[in-house]
Amino acid sequence: MNKLQSTWISTLLLTSLLSCGEKAPAPDAVGTDSKSGAKSAAKTPASQSPSPAAVPAPAGKQSITVWWFQWAPADGLAELGREFEAETQIAVKVEQIPLSSYQEKVFLEFGGSKTSFDVVIGDSQWIGRGASKGLYLELTQWLPTVVDLASIHPRAARYLCEYPEGSGKWFAAPCETDAVGMAYRKDWFEDAAEKAAFQKKYGRELRVPDTWEEFLQVATFFQRPADKRFGCAIPSDRAYDGLTMGFQNVLWAFGGTWHAENSNKVVGHLDTQGTIDAVEFYRQIVNLGPRGAERLDYGQVLEAFTNGSTAMLLNYFAFFPGIHKQFGNKVGFAVVPAHKGKRVASLGGQGFSISTKVPASQQELAKKFIAWFLQRKVQEKWITKPAGFTANAQILASPEFRALTPYNGPFADSIDSMRDFWNVPCFNELLSVTQRYVGMAVDGELPAREALQLLAEEKERILAEAGLL
Amino acid sequence: MKLLRWLVIAGYLFVATLPLVWMGLSSIKQRDATISANARFVPSLSAPVGEDSARFEATLDPYRQLAHVHAGARQSFWGHLKSSVTIGFLSTAAAVVLGSACAYGFSRFRLAGKQDWLFFILSTRFMPPLAVVVPVLIMYRRMDLQGTHLGLALLYTVFNLSMAVWLMKGFLDEIPRAFEEAAMVDGYSRAQAFVRVVLPEAATGMAVTAVFCLISAWNEYGFAMTLNSSGAVTVPAYFAGLQGNIEGMPWPQIAAGALVFVAPIVAFTVLVRKNLLRGMTFGTIKQ
Amino acid sequence: MQGARRTARPGRQRLGWWLVAPTLVLLVGFNVFPLLYNVVLSFTNAELTGGERRSLGGANYGRVFRDPVFAGALRRTALFVASVVSAELILGLVLALALVKRFPGKHVVLTLLLIPMMLSPAVMGLFWGLILNGNYGILNQALGAAGLSQPQWLTDRDLKFWSIVLIDVWMWTPFMMLIALAGLGAIPPSIYEAAQIDRAGPWRVFWRITLPMTAPVLGLAVLFRATDALKQFDLVMATTGPNDASTQTLSTLLYQVVFRDGKVGLGSAFACTVLVVVMALATVFTRYIDRMQKTEAAA
Repeated sequence: MNKLQSTWISTLLLTSLLSCGEKAPAPDAVGTDSKSGAKSAAKTPASQSPSPAAVPAPAGKQSITVWWFQWAPADGLAELGREFEAETQIAVKVEQIPLSSYQEKVFLEFGGSKTSFDVVIGDSQWIGRGASKGLYLELTQWLPTVVDLASIHPRAARYLCEYPEGSGKWFAAPCETDAVGMAYRKDWFEDAAEKAAFQKKYGRELRVPDTWEEFLQVATFFQRPADKRFGCAIPSDRAYDGLTMGFQNVLWAFGGTWHAENSNKVVGHLDTQGTIDAVEFYRQIVNLGPRGAERLDYGQVLEAFTNGSTAMLLNYFAFFPGIHKQFGNKVGFAVVPAHKGKRVASLGGQGFSISTKVPASQQELAKKFIAWFLQRKVQEKWITKPAGFTANAQILASPEFRALTPYNGPFADSIDSMRDFWNVPCFNELLSVTQRYVGMAVDGELPAREALQLLAEEKERILAEAGLL
Repeated sequence: MKLLRWLVIAGYLFVATLPLVWMGLSSIKQRDATISANARFVPSLSAPVGEDSARFEATLDPYRQLAHVHAGARQSFWGHLKSSVTIGFLSTAAAVVLGSACAYGFSRFRLAGKQDWLFFILSTRFMPPLAVVVPVLIMYRRMDLQGTHLGLALLYTVFNLSMAVWLMKGFLDEIPRAFEEAAMVDGYSRAQAFVRVVLPEAATGMAVTAVFCLISAWNEYGFAMTLNSSGAVTVPAYFAGLQGNIEGMPWPQIAAGALVFVAPIVAFTVLVRKNLLRGMTFGTIKQ
Repeated sequence: MQGARRTARPGRQRLGWWLVAPTLVLLVGFNVFPLLYNVVLSFTNAELTGGERRSLGGANYGRVFRDPVFAGALRRTALFVASVVSAELILGLVLALALVKRFPGKHVVLTLLLIPMMLSPAVMGLFWGLILNGNYGILNQALGAAGLSQPQWLTDRDLKFWSIVLIDVWMWTPFMMLIALAGLGAIPPSIYEAAQIDRAGPWRVFWRITLPMTAPVLGLAVLFRATDALKQFDLVMATTGPNDASTQTLSTLLYQVVFRDGKVGLGSAFACTVLVVVMALATVFTRYIDRMQKTEAAA
C-alpha cells in the first residue's frame, strides 16, 4: 500500500522542482488562445478572416448576443434591438444576468476560447482588465468614424470607455450613464402629523435631506421597527460591489479617499480621518433600515422600499423606473446628500465592449449595431425608454431630457459630480478586499481605523503585485 | 424508558420536519406571503382580510410558474430539470457499470498491485472538488466539453467511481465464487456465468450503489456552477444563480422546485431502503 | 482464495485488467493530471482570464503560509468539521437508540427523517436563508411571538458561523443515525440477554456493550462525514457568500481566490497545501477500512 503512495508523492515533488526553475512557456492553458493581451485584440479581425464578406453567410438569420445585467435599461435596449432588426434583419438578443454574479459569469466566459456573447455591456470598473488582458476589442480607430467623440459626456468617456482614463484609447462605446441617487416617500414627508412631530422633536422643518447630517436625522425619525416602518435602505451587500458603491457617496463627501490624488499610493490616504468618519457614518445609517439591512443587494434595497416600509433609499437611478411606476406621485427623487458642501455620487453605467473571442464576422455585426445605436436619432429614442440614460452630453443637458421623468432632473444634476472606483486591471481584487474590510467595519467586527489600516496594506500589496505602485 | 424514547423521536421529528413543512407551505403561496413580516402559516381558500392575518390564500401557481423563465436563466425549471435528469442518470449508469466491472475485476482476479490500486481509487474520494476545478476547466476548454451535458456527466462519473467500486466490491465479495465456477464447469463461458449467475445476485447491490451515485450527482453544485455558465445548467446551479435578481428571489417557485427535485430521490431511496444500510457501511456489516 | 489462485492463468489476468482499466484510466486522467497541473500552476502567476504566465518561484506558497486569511480558513474549517461531526454523532446515536426497536410506522418515520440528506444543499442553503432572515424569517417571527430575542442569524458576526453549523447538522444527522442504526442492529441479542441476567443497568449496558460494539461502524461514519464537511462549500455560498471573513471555509476561499479574484496560481498553491492535509486524512481512512476488513475476514 505504501509503495504507490510514496511514488505518487515523489512524482509530485519532482514536478514541482522542475517547474520552478524554468520559466513556464506559452500561456497556452489558462485562457486557451489569448497569447498576449493587446496583440490578440489587434490581430483577431485580420487573422481570422480577411474581410467580413469572405466569411460564409450563416445558414440561419444573422444575430448578435448582448450580455447586460438585469435591470430596466436592458429591457429598453432589447426594444431598440427589435427596431434594429426590422431595419437590418440582424437580430439582437439581450441576455440579462443578475448583477451579483455578473462579473464572475462574464470573466469565466472570457477565460474560454470563445464567449457566448458578442457584446458585453461591462461594468465601468472592468475596463482596465478588459483592455489590458486583450478581452475587449480596441475601438480607438473605429469609434470616431461613427460618432463625434466630442458629443460624449467627458465623465462617461473617462470612466466608461477609455483605458487608461483620459488616454484617448477606447475599449468601449458609451451605452448607459448612471449614478447613485435618492428616492423618498413624498407622502410621508408631506404628512401634516409627521411634519408637526418632526418640528417638535428637532426644531426644524421636515424636508428632503440635503446634507448627510439631515439624512441621518430624518432616517432616525422614521425608524420605528415596532410599527414596521424604517428610516432608509441603502446598498450593503457583499457579493459583488453593493456595499462599496453605496459607501462611496459618503466616503468622498466626508473628505475620505481610496488612494492618493495622482498615484496609487494607499497607505496614508485611505486610513485617514475622513475615511474613518465616513465608515462610521455609513455604519450608523445602515442600521436605520429593516432588520438584516447590513446585507442588502440592489434588488433587496428596492424591495425594502417597494414593500412600503421604508422612508428613503439610495440606489442607482437606473433602478428607479419601477419605483416611479409603482408609487407615482407618492415618491420623489433627489441627488445624494452632501457633507460640508461636498457632494459626490458613485458612478454607475456601462459601455458596449466587443469580445475579442468571437469571429470577426460577429464583431462586424456588433459594430453595425453599436454605430446604429449611437446615432443622434436613436439616442433620442433611447432616452424615452425606462432609464435610458444616454451619454450624449447635449441630450443630457436638454430641458426635454429633464422633463421626461421625475428622476431625470436629479440624474442630470448628479452627472457632473460622478466618480468611480478603481478601474485598473486588478480592480476585482481591490473590490474583494474593500467589500471584506469595509464590511467588517460596518458590521462592527473591527474598529473602523483598524479595518482601514488592514485594507490599505492589502491594497498596496495587490497593487505592488500588479506592478501599479 | 419507553416514554423517553417516544419523546426523543417525536421531538426530533417535529423539529427536523418543520423546515420541510415550511417549504411545503411556501410552495403554495404567492411571493408576497413568503416574505411578509407577519408570518402566514394557515392556508385558506380566500385572500386574508387583515394585515395581521396568519392566513394566506393557497395557490398552485408556484408549480405552474415553474415553467417561467427568470432573468439570468435561459430556460425554465423544467429545462434545467431535464439537464439534471440527463446528467444524473447518464453518470449514474456509467458509474455503476464501470464500477461494477472494476469491482468484479478486483474481486475475482489476482491483479498485481491490487491493494495499491484500491487505495488509490479510494483516495480520490477525499479530493476537495474545488482543488481540481481549474485544471479540469482547462482540460474541458481544450476538449470543448465546457457547458455540455457530457462534460458534467463524465465528471460526476469519475467522482462517483471510487464509491461505486468500493460498494460493489463489498457486495461482489459476498457472492461465493463457487456459483460461477459451478456454472463454468457446466459449460458456460465466463461472460455467460457472469450474466446468469453473478448479475442477479449483485442486482440489489447495484441498485444501492446507483442511489448513492444519483444523490451525489443530482445535488452537486460546485462544478455545475463553475464549468457551466449557460449550457447544461443543473437545477441546484440554476436556483443559486437567481440570487441578486432584482425581482427578488422567487421563493414559492424555489420551494416548489426543491420539492419536485427531491421527489425522484425519495422514491429511489424507498425502493432500495432494505439494502441501504449495508451500502452505507461499505459492507462492513453483514445483515 | 485457494480457488482463485488455482485458476490464475495469464489469459485470465488479461481479462481482469480489461475490467479494471476503464475505471483506472478515468481516475488517473481526472485526478493525477489535475494534481500535477495544479502543482505546475502553483508556481506561476496564472490568471483565470489568460494572458502572459510567468514563474513566481515559491511566492504563492509564501503568501499561503504568511497571509492569515488562509490559516484562518483552515482553522475555521477544522472547527466546522469538529462541531458538525460531534453534534451529528451524538444526535444521530441518540436517535438511533430511540429508533432501534420495532414500532408501527417506523418506516414512515425513518423515511421522513432521511429527507434532509437527500435535498440539494445549495438549494436548501438558499431556503434556510429565508427561514433565518432577520426581518421576515419565520424563526425570528416565532421567537418574537414567544417574547424571545430575535438574533440576526446570518449577519451577526458571532452567530453566522454557528447558523451554518446548525443547517449542516439538520441535513446530515440522518446520515449518522442511519449508520448507527446499522451498527446497533448488528449486535447479537444474546449479548443483551446475558447482560440482563447479570442485572446490569441500562447506563452500564450502553457503556459496556452498546458503545464498544458500535464504535467501529460509528468511526467509519465519523470519517465519512469529516471528509465531506472538510469540503463544505454549498451552504456557505448560499447563505453568507464566499467573501465573508467569519464563515470562509477552505472551498469557499478557493472559490473567492480563483473565480472572484482570478488568481489561479495562488489558488493552486493553496489547493496543493490543502491536498497534503487531505492526503494524510485519506491515509488514515484507508488504513482504517483495511483493518476493519482484515478483522472481518478473521472473524
